[in-house]
Amino acid sequence: MSRNITQNAFYVLELSSECSVMDVEMAGQKLLAMLEIGMADAKTYSTPMGHQERDAERVRAAMAQLRDPKSRIVHELWAQLPAEPLTQATEAPLDGPWPEAFKALGWKR
Amino acid sequence: MAKPFYVGFDLGTTNSTSAIFDGERVHSVQSAMGGALTPSVVRLSSKGTPIVGARARRFLERDPENTQSEFKRLMGTGKTIHFPAADVSKQPQELAALVLASLRADVEQHLGFSIDQAVITVPALFEVPQSAATAEAARLAGLQRVELLQEPVASALAAGWEAESAQGSWMVFDLGGGTFDVSLLESREGLLRVVGHDGDNFLGGRDFDRRIVDWCLTRLATEEGVQLRREDPSHRQALRQLALAVEEAKIELTRVEQTTIGGAMPLEVDDELVDLDITLDRATLETLCAPVVDRTLEVCLRLLREHGQRPDDLETVVLVGGPSVMPLVRQRVAEALTQPSEEGLDPMALVAQGAAIYAASAGLEARSSTRREVPGTAREVPGTGTGEVPGTGFQRGKGCDHNTATSGKPHQLWLQYPAVTAVTTPHIVGRLAEPGAGPPPTRLEIAEVSDPSSVIKVELDAEGAFVAQVVLKSKKLSTFAVHAWSAAGESVPISPTELRIMHGVTLSDPPLSRTLGVALANNTVQTYFERGVPLPARRTFGHRTIESLIPGTGGNLDIPIVQGEFEQAHLCRLVGSLRINADDLAETLPIGSDIEVTLELDRGGRLSARAHIPRIDRVFEEVARLLVPDAEPETLTREAEALQSRLIGLQSAIGREDQRERLAALDRRLIEAQLATEAAKGGDADSGQRARRILLDLEAEVGELEDLGKWPELEAKSMSQIATATHFVAQFGNDMEQRLLDTAVSGAEQALKGRSHDLLRQHMKVVRDVGNAAFYRHPEAWSWELDYYASHVEEATDPKAAGRIIGRAREAREQNETDRLKSLVTELWRLFPAEAQQRRLSHRSGIH
Repeated sequence: MSRNITQNAFYVLELSSECSVMDVEMAGQKLLAMLEIGMADAKTYSTPMGHQERDAERVRAAMAQLRDPKSRIVHELWAQLPAEPLTQATEAPLDGPWPEAFKALGWKR
Repeated sequence: MAKPFYVGFDLGTTNSTSAIFDGERVHSVQSAMGGALTPSVVRLSSKGTPIVGARARRFLERDPENTQSEFKRLMGTGKTIHFPAADVSKQPQELAALVLASLRADVEQHLGFSIDQAVITVPALFEVPQSAATAEAARLAGLQRVELLQEPVASALAAGWEAESAQGSWMVFDLGGGTFDVSLLESREGLLRVVGHDGDNFLGGRDFDRRIVDWCLTRLATEEGVQLRREDPSHRQALRQLALAVEEAKIELTRVEQTTIGGAMPLEVDDELVDLDITLDRATLETLCAPVVDRTLEVCLRLLREHGQRPDDLETVVLVGGPSVMPLVRQRVAEALTQPSEEGLDPMALVAQGAAIYAASAGLEARSSTRREVPGTAREVPGTGTGEVPGTGFQRGKGCDHNTATSGKPHQLWLQYPAVTAVTTPHIVGRLAEPGAGPPPTRLEIAEVSDPSSVIKVELDAEGAFVAQVVLKSKKLSTFAVHAWSAAGESVPISPTELRIMHGVTLSDPPLSRTLGVALANNTVQTYFERGVPLPARRTFGHRTIESLIPGTGGNLDIPIVQGEFEQAHLCRLVGSLRINADDLAETLPIGSDIEVTLELDRGGRLSARAHIPRIDRVFEEVARLLVPDAEPETLTREAEALQSRLIGLQSAIGREDQRERLAALDRRLIEAQLATEAAKGGDADSGQRARRILLDLEAEVGELEDLGKWPELEAKSMSQIATATHFVAQFGNDMEQRLLDTAVSGAEQALKGRSHDLLRQHMKVVRDVGNAAFYRHPEAWSWELDYYASHVEEATDPKAAGRIIGRAREAREQNETDRLKSLVTELWRLFPAEAQQRRLSHRSGIH
């Protein structure tokens, strides 16, 4: 789930969510070239959840995701969300597992 | 100035072609025999001397035993092809290598210098072993570096290159001799994106021929009393003669209304000579071939549906491949999809042309690094000999060196830039790679040679690197000169001093056609790459061994690599297996050992795999089996019988009209598989592979229909899973998990409504995963886990070891050491492997 932010294609390519398809190509080509020759500036990118490492595979994946209008929408949504710290588990009374619970979670028992 | 050339090869089932791209224009290469097509035919003389192409094709009828065609359909199967005159057997890739070598010689003759880098196309739905066999053929043909490219992507690239203003959605309909590929593409502002692929590796022009041959067999039987049977090995030669005559008649009927199926020589059937003389008109031909054309259209419509599009959404359809010139194909495509492109594209040459253009994008300049003259050419040999830029395979280019006249060794620049791009203002990125004589450069000037005012000045940073943005001439080749200056303002010799970028089409990374993963011992699949993931791609996952490997015992541990869209491993196709032999180990590898498996796919779908075992710090890369499985007629017959029983069972269980139609279609496919199995009994290995593929597809489809029959059960199970996951996420989940669950539940509800089994499966997986993640935050979760395993200790692979861990885990629980308890329970998991039956189904996977 946090990958939606840490690997958000807009953050990976350092683009705003309003960028054009040509901006995506331009940014992607530039970053791939910079990574190829080992430029330090290309090796990390920042996200609301901190700095992340960038590699060619992640750049290519980000380009593919933003080229596809359907997956781009998802990335736009996550890029526009304010970053929220993860909430702690509730202190509410706890239920034990009922007999079918394990099966319902996909277990074989 | 050295002009770079790029070469593409289309290694086809029936014919092969080659093309050259010079950075601006692309053109097909004529073969030594004069035509653009080289028949994919190889003959071996009694001395073992190979003859390839048009010359070999002449022997197909006269000497079929020693003249082979259509070996592409057997690539990656492990079958060998025997040539009795020379008494040698060859693998399909060895024969393909001879065809490639012939194409390569034609290109070298044309260019005047030797080449060792090229792009070779493969069908989009080629399985991993088939791609591996193609790469092997290239190696055997002496090519040092090749990239494989999917055929429809190549066609699309060539068509996109030719079409000045292609916009919107379009389709490439590639009907070859033996394979059918269809690709859905989207073009925007010169950016070409492959939206998706579909196709059938065993559907092509040969299926037209097969139907016409069947019709001829009936005519011969009823009118001449000649019983020519596919299942009789002694009739093989006569059948080949008939097939050749049929192919010629079919081609002729694209121009005329009526023709005669005849041959140069009479057919020899059961020691009797039969003259072949059957009249065939176009109407009969079209009636016979219509079901095959309809099958191609079903695949096209399925692809459109999968991507939420309709035929109306298509701007155009590009027809590729010899059989696509048939008037019936064009007419049916226009009726069912949209009007095919009229741009005068050559359906036979498009694939190789696209491959050549792609070679430029991939920086695969054809020129050999070790130049050798090609005799018989008067052409001047240009060349630079600049070093190859190592890289990811993404667009890049090499510059040219003009500094040979400059005194002193020049400073070497390492440049990265797209050789071909749709972007009008691309970046040039570079760094100082190797110092030369004199002061180092600190500043560069880059200018388009035809426009000296376009100078861009850029400083080298502390790393000696720079990023510059240049402007390209629209739809033309731009040549940039690079000059360097020292800190003192002196001109500094550098290399390269020139680079070229063509403003054209940018092709997005091709998507993977089928999901690829590793089979686990419980018969599930750990997905490494989902279908559609951009290639190249590489991923590593951690696993654990489920049994001990003891040196000297001869045992081994398999890591099966499978391809397919199913959660159960046995429904997916086994495409390779990493094998770790116990005897290769210096010490015992205990059960539960960590093992990191890495799978890597290149742009053409070529797979490499490796397993790293941290405990002994060893890497295993030997892929024990990279073959398409055998297709023995007896096995195929048994599988077909079993499927027939299941189909009969479904007939009484299924009520909905649309499902009945689907069932009828499956029945027809089963008959097709049975006919192919019969042909396999007569020694036709290709038909055996075809039957295997049909049966495997049928197995999956029948399974899906059986599941649909249990829909109410599935619905209830899904609702129960959703309720459980909702309960745990509400109590222990975080906001993101809640959001993800909401999305998955909403998707599952839609899938339930639309009765979409595939979609439901995808969404329910997310529901279960999120539910599980939350469940394990329950303070008692690990304690319950411990109790479960303690009560099943006798099922552990090593009950004693399990007992010891359980004892320690109980202590941890009593002392409220949750982290330790969690770690010990995790350790226990390794001792409870999958059941034997599941393991057998999982292609005997040794990991989980």
